[in-house]
Amino acid sequence: MNDDEDLELQALQRRLDDAFQSTRPRTGFEDELWSKMQARRPVWVRVGDFLSGLFGTIREVPAVPAAAVAVVLVVALGIGIIARSGIHVGGGGSSPSSEFTSTSLGASRNQGTFGRLPVPAAATSVPPKVANPSSDVAAGSPANSYAGPVNLAWAGQLPANLANAPVYRYTEPSAADADQFASSIGASRQAGTAGLPGSYAGSGFVLGVTGSISAFAREPSYAITPDRSTLPPPGPTPVATADAYLAAHSLVPAWPYTVTTANAADVVRVLYLRQFDLPGGGRAYLVDRTGERYGIEVDLRNGQPLQALGPMPLYLDVAVYPIISGDQAVRSALATSPNRSASNVPTVQLTNVDLAYALAIAGDHSFYEPVFVFSGTFTQNGVAYVKRVIVPAVGP
Amino acid sequence: MLADRPPFEDLYRDFLGRIYAYVRAQVTSSADAEDITAQVFMNAYQAYGRFEARNTTPAAWLFRIARNATLDHFRAHGRRERLRRTIEHQPVSEHDPAGMAEERIQYRALLAHVARLPERQRDAISLRHSGLSFEEVGVLMSCTEDAAKMLYHRALKALRESARAEMA
Repeated sequence: MNDDEDLELQALQRRLDDAFQSTRPRTGFEDELWSKMQARRPVWVRVGDFLSGLFGTIREVPAVPAAAVAVVLVVALGIGIIARSGIHVGGGGSSPSSEFTSTSLGASRNQGTFGRLPVPAAATSVPPKVANPSSDVAAGSPANSYAGPVNLAWAGQLPANLANAPVYRYTEPSAADADQFASSIGASRQAGTAGLPGSYAGSGFVLGVTGSISAFAREPSYAITPDRSTLPPPGPTPVATADAYLAAHSLVPAWPYTVTTANAADVVRVLYLRQFDLPGGGRAYLVDRTGERYGIEVDLRNGQPLQALGPMPLYLDVAVYPIISGDQAVRSALATSPNRSASNVPTVQLTNVDLAYALAIAGDHSFYEPVFVFSGTFTQNGVAYVKRVIVPAVGP
Repeated sequence: MLADRPPFEDLYRDFLGRIYAYVRAQVTSSADAEDITAQVFMNAYQAYGRFEARNTTPAAWLFRIARNATLDHFRAHGRRERLRRTIEHQPVSEHDPAGMAEERIQYRALLAHVARLPERQRDAISLRHSGLSFEEVGVLMSCTEDAAKMLYHRALKALRESARAEMA
């Protein structure tokens, strides 16, 4: 096998890893099946579970006053930060759907506080991988990502302390919201379809819109596919072609981003990596549950658009929360390596940490929350890996 | 031994997605994949009292149940039906953009190629990329670890050819 073939097979393995890891049942299936299984259990077992759940709730009650204190603090901090950051403060009394217009898609509004936050999926578990290379299209990841157990050590420099950071919240879009989004880019719902996911068609393209998919932590998204008979001619560069394609469909992101490209087989992927503004003028990338940056992806073949996939523009409410110190973050990161005594577990020196944003899907409302992404590289059996550890930045 | 056995809920949470993906790579509709996955966990739930952690890993145990449930599904639907469905299975349809959006996210096109591979090759790819070691794949497929590796690499090359043929 020559080098090209070898590389091609490795790329195929990575795509298979991604395919298997991102193929998950539809939203709700996990809960439905679990309910069915519980319904088949003997009554006395279910009663026992109910009682233990009740006692668990009672034990959690003392935590509420502390949360209330935090809420007051968050509101006070939030008002100051928002005033400086230029985040749009919308009218609190109007509903998101009534304000949903093409000109204000993706806007943010301050609504005070969100109370206790769910933990981002990225910080709870990373799906195990086999050979575990990250996607070719990942930005800034020269080595394969590693999800196995490791011993961790910290050998980096702590980031400048940031006392607080915005948390963004969106309301799960309804079918009407999806219809309005589709309409804003010139598409209308295909006959015989209803609800979400939604199918739409416009002049020379079709559009699909999904709601949040908790199984692999994705926000409501769209995929737009051009009619192959009406493809525009290739632009001078992949980025120029992707820019033009997004602009032609009013899909140029309203949020900050950086652009990068990656090749996989004969497809060039142009990535618009999403960022969030931080207090003081900095920005933090949005990362998925493995710590990879993401945003809008435009795939091109032979210089022409194949498909674009991106987050559906949504209103984001914003509240500012205090975040943990760098020292606390390091302790949390190191605490994720419980196998210190195992001899066959590699030791990884974490040498870098970035503040980023990760998605926490939680029913009707989901959140983009600040997280610390620690990373370090190591070699095992001649293969270079990057290990990432994601730690929630908002304190408990 | 009960002490070696994690709560079934942990297994359910950790493996539901992986089992679904494994099954989805074998069958051509998400509805079938859901039915089979449900059957897998119903069976596993009932049999969990007999699961011996010292004899096998939870992953190998669950994937064995999944493999058997998938084979039962094919037997119940008959080879002819399976062949028809495989032949009729097309890459992403432009008439269903909503499904396309989801499939785009879920790499359905690639898994469709996996579903068209011969049974043992398909199994080797699916089990391996569901997170099992070659040793576990070998045990499940009644062959040695080395044979599982060879089967997997043959399957990988066949998959590459299948993908190339579609693009040509």
